Amino acid sequence: MTREIEQKLRAEARNLLEKGKVDRVIGYGAGSLRFATTPLIISDKGDADRLVVNPFIHNNLSVFLPDLCGKVAIVAKVCDARSIISLVQNKQIAREDVFIIGVPCSGIIDLAKVQKLTGLDRDEIGDMSWKGDKVAVTFAGGSKEFSAGEVLADSCLGCDCSGFQEFDLVIGEIKPLAGGKDLSRNKIQEMEAMSPAQRWEFWKNEFSRCIRCYACRQICPVCFCERCFVEETEPLWVSPLPKWQDNLIFQAVRMMHVAGRCTDCGECERACPANIPLGILTGKMEDIVEELFQYRAGMDKDAPPLMAAYQPEEAENLMR
Amino acid sequence: MDNFEPKIVAFCCNWCSYAGADLAGTSRMQYPPNIRIIRVMCSGRVNPSFVLKALSVGADGVLVLGCHPGDCHYLTGNYRTRRRMAITKKFLEYMGVEPERIQVSWCSASEGSRFAEVVSAVTDDLKQISPNRLFND
Amino acid sequence: MKKIKKQNAARLLEKWQKEFTVFVPSKASGVAQMAVWDGQDLAFLEHNRNTVIPPKANFLPSIQKMFGFRKEEGGYVLEPTDEDPPKQLLFGIHPCDARAIAIIDMVFKDAYEDRYYLSRRQNTVLVGTACTSPYDNCFCTSLGFGPADATDVDIMLTDIGDSFLIEEITDRGKEVLAGAKDVMAATAADEKKARAVKESAKARVSTKIDTDEIGKRLPLVFDDRKFWEEISAKCVSCGICTFLCPTCYCFDINDEMLRDGSGARYRNWDCCSFAVYTKMPAENPREDKWRRVRQKVYHKYAFYPELFGIIGCTGCGRCIRQCPVNWDITQTLNSLPAGTPTKKQETQKSS
Repeated sequence: MTREIEQKLRAEARNLLEKGKVDRVIGYGAGSLRFATTPLIISDKGDADRLVVNPFIHNNLSVFLPDLCGKVAIVAKVCDARSIISLVQNKQIAREDVFIIGVPCSGIIDLAKVQKLTGLDRDEIGDMSWKGDKVAVTFAGGSKEFSAGEVLADSCLGCDCSGFQEFDLVIGEIKPLAGGKDLSRNKIQEMEAMSPAQRWEFWKNEFSRCIRCYACRQICPVCFCERCFVEETEPLWVSPLPKWQDNLIFQAVRMMHVAGRCTDCGECERACPANIPLGILTGKMEDIVEELFQYRAGMDKDAPPLMAAYQPEEAENLMR
Repeated sequence: MDNFEPKIVAFCCNWCSYAGADLAGTSRMQYPPNIRIIRVMCSGRVNPSFVLKALSVGADGVLVLGCHPGDCHYLTGNYRTRRRMAITKKFLEYMGVEPERIQVSWCSASEGSRFAEVVSAVTDDLKQISPNRLFND
Repeated sequence: MKKIKKQNAARLLEKWQKEFTVFVPSKASGVAQMAVWDGQDLAFLEHNRNTVIPPKANFLPSIQKMFGFRKEEGGYVLEPTDEDPPKQLLFGIHPCDARAIAIIDMVFKDAYEDRYYLSRRQNTVLVGTACTSPYDNCFCTSLGFGPADATDVDIMLTDIGDSFLIEEITDRGKEVLAGAKDVMAATAADEKKARAVKESAKARVSTKIDTDEIGKRLPLVFDDRKFWEEISAKCVSCGICTFLCPTCYCFDINDEMLRDGSGARYRNWDCCSFAVYTKMPAENPREDKWRRVRQKVYHKYAFYPELFGIIGCTGCGRCIRQCPVNWDITQTLNSLPAGTPTKKQETQKSS
């Protein structure tokens, strides 16, 4: 079935470029590692056959949009499409400059989870693919099947694509995931069951590993500030030195800065080389924003951004 | 927690709460001396990074004071404050910061006694919890 | 050659622990890196694939205090940091990382001897383990050595099943091994087995680059902006490739001030991919991303060889495995266009 989607996508991309409807198409190409895909930006219709669709198209390609000139067609899963609209809401890109091609997604397989469950590295796995509603992983000497809940990324398990209407073109059918928000909130619930001191201790430990590579910030489509607050030296809000205190402050403030634009796409956690579970923060932030202000980023291109809007009465119970 | 005097950083907006603080002073109202006031033009100026910076340099609590919603000198600044600080409070609480440490209140220029009350109340709250050791090694 | 049974390896580590802080590959912190041996964990003896954080962290930590200072009577008093760092023994170093350490050594000894780096380096013993399961994207064999190359370590261990074959490479290695119980002479069969293990690992390195061709083409494609723009389009300018690279050594220096006028000066890892890396008051020569990506490739494959006679890359593959967009330096190097000589290069050729 994915083969069909892939073929259709390639045909559409070729068509769009041929007819001059777009200057560029950005999608996913085959990666150089097993089970990897890589962002692919093409302007030549002959390259349309390099586009792929598979369970590993994890990148949120909207991060590249603000820097691309002209009209761009972008292959987008629903979470990515919401990021695109979030960028439109924040006036980082113009809606008419983007042609959003929706592709169905059964969830991104989280390699870290598979590694934990099988003890195998990426290059020790033979194949990973869907077998019905299970993921089959084959390796030298055998195979194992896992349920979606065991191997899909947390942010995917909570996927709620209902109500999104901004696709310019949909290839195949976009269906909600069977998971449900509860499955994706397990880690958050565990966190909330801890005492404040335990939670702080947890994050202190996690951020001791942070090396301040800023991959989380760079890969995030809605971290689009030209000058990040960490670059400010007068006054110095955060030290550039990777001490856990500053690492924690950096991430906490970053999360608060992107509140209302973040769509919990999961890329920051996936990018982190130190395995810091940032999804526990992004997921909660999305929940806080929805609970307090009934707002979800990237659903309505004409809605003002979260921080640009207000209600006469709201959140007063949190004020003294 | 005898003799624990919490250090509170208070961001006060120039037009309402700072004037309110001034009124409390000129009216010789008594209130705890635990706050250190930083004047901002509008409470909407307060970035979450200010709050975390204050906590990281040893403040036991951060208080953000602005005009009453609807009465902001810049019309809508304090609406931003409310949204932003609501998120800041809830998110930092989720990360493990005690809820008493970050508080927001509205205080107009004529509410000298209210200013004194809020400061007393926040100081009391913070006396009940331990000194801030969040960012200690 | 000598050998030691795996079941006795712990005792050898314990002996070393008496004299050194022993570091072993460990995932206990949450990410695979060299960590102080806890005296218990022996998982790394069986499963020793390369760490995520490279061992350069033991000589050039991600944050390093240079000195403290305090204000005193109208001036500043410097408080130098401990000039004699504790002796350390790094166990389980792969040849790619050992080679990388040798490569960085050149920088920190060149023109100016960096004692912050060298004092740690000189107090370190490297115990290597021959790599037995290279990743599918490792390419060390293209860079003049291989997964079992012992040139840059003090002692080399090769896994021959129930034992490690031990090669004493340097005098320091001999010294450190002396007196170790359980170390016995290796048989000819052991040595043969070790050779087979090494050959097998070498054969498994499947990714290749042609350094001769790269050396020829790089000087000719520097100004091919179109190529570099295409190649760099998907880079997001984070610091992962640099920070995880065992041969990258750039650092920034920052002071931390305390309110009373005292403080400390630190150095920390910096990355040429960051947009602000070359930012100066007057201008930023590498504001464009394609210039930064180009610089990364050239530093390692053109400028470093020019300065130090060796390519500044050891094919460990970390940058490729961890890059969030799967940018792959081997793909870039293998797709360099033939290029056209610049006018200057042409006149140089003809003169």
